[in-house]
Amino acid sequence: MTSSSILATSQVAKRFGSVVALRSVDLTVGRGEVHALLGANGAGKSTLVKILSGVLQADEGQITLHGRNLRLRNPAEAQEAGLATVFQDPALIPDLTVSENFRLTDVSEQEVVEWLERMQMSGVDFDQQIRDLPLPTLRLIDLARALTREPAILMLDEITAALPADQAEQVFGVMDEWRDKGRSVLFITHRLGEVMRMCDRATVLRDGRNVATFVPREMGEAGLVEAMLGEAAQGPTTVQTAVAKGPVALETRQLRSGDRLKGVSLELHAGEVLGIAALEGQGQDRLFALLAGDRPPDSGEILVAGDPLLAQSPYDAVRRGMVLIPSDRLQALLPQRSIRENLATPLYRRVGQWWGLAADEDDRVRSAIDRLSIDTRAGRQAGRLSGGNQQKVVVGRWLAAGFRVLLCFDPTRGIDVRTKQQIYELLRELAAGGAAVLLYTSELAEIPLVCDRVLVLYDGQVVGRQAAHEATEESLLTAAHGLSSEDVA
Amino acid sequence: MTVATVESGWARSWRKNVRRHGWTLGVWLLLVGLMVAYAALLPRFGAFQITSIAKNSLPLVYLAIAQAVIVIAGGIDLAAGAILVLANAVAARLMEGQTFPVTLAIAVLVIVMATVLNGIVGWIITVSRVPDIVVTLATLFIFSGVALLVLPSPGGGTSEGFRALFTGSTSGTGSNFVPPLLSMAVPLALVAWWMRRTETGLSLYATGSNRVAAYLSGVSTGRAKVVAYAIGGAFGALGGLAALAITGSGESRLATASGFTLRAVAAIVLGGVALTGGIGSVVGAAAAGIVLFTLSPFLSALGVDPNTAQMIQGVLIVVVMMIAGIVELRRQRAL
Repeated sequence: MTSSSILATSQVAKRFGSVVALRSVDLTVGRGEVHALLGANGAGKSTLVKILSGVLQADEGQITLHGRNLRLRNPAEAQEAGLATVFQDPALIPDLTVSENFRLTDVSEQEVVEWLERMQMSGVDFDQQIRDLPLPTLRLIDLARALTREPAILMLDEITAALPADQAEQVFGVMDEWRDKGRSVLFITHRLGEVMRMCDRATVLRDGRNVATFVPREMGEAGLVEAMLGEAAQGPTTVQTAVAKGPVALETRQLRSGDRLKGVSLELHAGEVLGIAALEGQGQDRLFALLAGDRPPDSGEILVAGDPLLAQSPYDAVRRGMVLIPSDRLQALLPQRSIRENLATPLYRRVGQWWGLAADEDDRVRSAIDRLSIDTRAGRQAGRLSGGNQQKVVVGRWLAAGFRVLLCFDPTRGIDVRTKQQIYELLRELAAGGAAVLLYTSELAEIPLVCDRVLVLYDGQVVGRQAAHEATEESLLTAAHGLSSEDVA
Repeated sequence: MTVATVESGWARSWRKNVRRHGWTLGVWLLLVGLMVAYAALLPRFGAFQITSIAKNSLPLVYLAIAQAVIVIAGGIDLAAGAILVLANAVAARLMEGQTFPVTLAIAVLVIVMATVLNGIVGWIITVSRVPDIVVTLATLFIFSGVALLVLPSPGGGTSEGFRALFTGSTSGTGSNFVPPLLSMAVPLALVAWWMRRTETGLSLYATGSNRVAAYLSGVSTGRAKVVAYAIGGAFGALGGLAALAITGSGESRLATASGFTLRAVAAIVLGGVALTGGIGSVVGAAAAGIVLFTLSPFLSALGVDPNTAQMIQGVLIVVVMMIAGIVELRRQRAL
C-alpha cells in the first residue's frame, strides 16, 4: 500500500434541494496507485467525480491535492490543478473537427497523436467532425487529450462501458503506464473483474458515505459486492403475488439497435410484471425507446398481442396500447397545466374533442384521481406536486386512457419509500387486472418485491433469466456485472 | 505518423470539405448564379452595377456577420438592427462638418462603444440567465430610443473621404468597386479566420454546439457569449457606418432597426447558420446577405412587383431550408 497520498477529500458533502447526494466522503488516493471508486447506483460516485472535476462545488468538506487545499470553481481550474477527467460522455464538441477540439482546449495535436498511437489508434482522421466518429474512438481521443495535460490524477468515469475488449485493453495499458510514472488513476467502473485486475485499492461508497477501503485482490469479487450492498436495508415489503399467466402481450425477437442492443428477445404476458435488471448503460434505455416507439430498431421484431408494431413515433405505440412511464416525470407531464388536464392529455387524440371532453371521459379522469389517491391540493399546476404525486399523475393518465403494456423506466427514481410502496402496489394491481408491465429499475432490491420474472441485461444482451422470488439483490448484482450468470429458467 | 487524410490524398479531403462546407459553397454558387442572371438581364452590366451591389449590400452583410457570430455562439440578438441604427445616428451627428481624419477617429470610437455596449448585453444575459431573446428584445427598444434622442429627424452628415472609404466615391455613387469590396472582404476574412483558427473563436462554436461539453472541456462558456455579443456589436456599428457612408446622412427609426434585425436573421438562416447554434459560418451568412439584398433589384429588373418580390424572398428561404433538411435527413439515415 502506498503511504504518500496525493489527493484527499475529507467530509465532502453535497445536497440538491432536499436530496442528499453525498453525506460525508473521505477518500485518499496515493501516489502511483490505481484506485477504484465503487458503489451501487445512487451511492454518490458521480457526484463525487463531478466535485473533483470542478463541475459541482461541495457544500462542505475539503479537497487537498499535494497537501494543498483546493477550491475548484469550474472544470478549467480542476484541469490546471492536475485533475483530468474522462467522462462517460466525452467532453468533445460535436460540430467541430477533432483538431479544432484540440485547438479549442489548447492541446498539442502531436502529443495526442503519440498517445493514440500507443493505444493502437493511429488511423484517426483529425479533419472529421466529432459527431461522425463512433463513441469508443471518442473516448480514447478524450483520454489521449487528458493524458497530454500530464495530470497528477487521471479520473476515468466508466470509461470501459461500451468499449470493445481490445480497446479496453489499451486503456488498461495506459493505466499501468500512468502508475509506473508515479501518477495516480481514480477509476470508476461497474465491472468488478476490471477492479480485481487493475486496481491497487478500492473505496466503496454507499448512501453518500465511504463505507470501506481495501485491496480488491484480498477481498474477492463476492466481498466487493457485499461491501457495495451493505446490510440489507429494511425497505418496503413484498407485494409480489402469483398470478396465472395470460396470453403474450408483448414479444420482441432479436432486437438490435446500433451498438446498444445486440439481439434482445423477450416475452411478456398479460397479468405479469417482468423486471429488467441492469447496470447503467447496458442498453436498457434503448430497449425502452424502441418499445415506446421513440425510434425504430435496426433489425428484429416487436410484436404487440401477436401483431408486429411498426411505430414511427410514440403516437403509433400508444395507439397500440404501449405506454411509457419515464423516470423523469417532467418529461411526461405538462408542468404548468392542471392535474386534470394532464390526466386528460391522451384523451385529446381525436380532433372533435379538442374543445372539451365527453362526459364519460370526464368520469374516467375523476376515477383515476380517486384510484391513485392523488393529492389534488396543488391542482392548478402539476409541476408543484411532489415527485411521488407527479409519478401518480403519469400513471393515472394511462389509466384514464387505457393501455395494454405499461413500460416503466425506473419509475421510482427519487421517490420516498411510502409512495414507492404505493407504486409497487399499483403495478401489481394493474397486472392483476390483466395489464402487462415491463419494469426497469435501477434499484435491484425492488425486483424481488414487485416482479414475477426478471431478465438481466448486460452489454445489450440478455445474460440471465431468473424467477423474481428466487432472485436476491446479490444474485442480480452479480449477474448484472456480467459475472457467472446463474440461469434459472 | 501524420493524419490519415494525407495518404488518402487531396481528392478525399476536398470531398470532405465540400460535404462539411456544402451549404456555404451552395450559397456562394447561388450568389454567382444570381449575379450572372442579373448581368444577363440588364442591358449594361459593368463596374457601376458591381459597385452599387457591393456598397449597398454592405450594411446587411455586416449585420448578417454580427448575427451569425452571436447565433453560432448559441445566442440571438434582436437588437442587432438597433445597434446599426444607433451607431448610424451617433456617427451622423458627430461627423457632420468634420474633416476625414476626425470622422475616421469618430468611426473608431463608435465601433469601440458598440463593442463595449453589446458586450455588456452579453454579460447581462450570461449573469442573469434571462433568455437572449428577451434581453435583446428589450435592448432593441432601448437602443432605438437612444438613437431617436440623438438624431430626432433624419440628418447629420459625414466627410467625403469617409464616404469614399465604403463606397469608392466621395459622392456615394460611382464605379470604383475596389473600396466597397475590400471593406466587405477584409473584416469578413478576419472574423472568419478568427472563428475557425483561434482558441477563443472556436470557443464560440463550442459553446453554441454543446454548452455542457464545452464547459466540461474547460471552455469558459460565459466569456464566449460576452465575446460573441461584443463582436456582434462591432459589426452592427460597421453596418451603421456603412449606411451613413452610402446615404451621406443618418436616420433613426425603430422600423429600420427591426427590419434590419429580421433581414439579418433571414440572411444567416439562408447562409447555413443553425439557429440552435454551433453550426454554420460567417462566410455563408455574408454571401446570403448579398443574395437577399440583390434579390430586390434583380426581381424589379424582371418586372416583378415589390410586394411579390418580398414573398419570393420568403419562398427562397423556405425552399433552401427544405433542401437542407432533406439532405441532412438522408445523411442521418445513412449513419
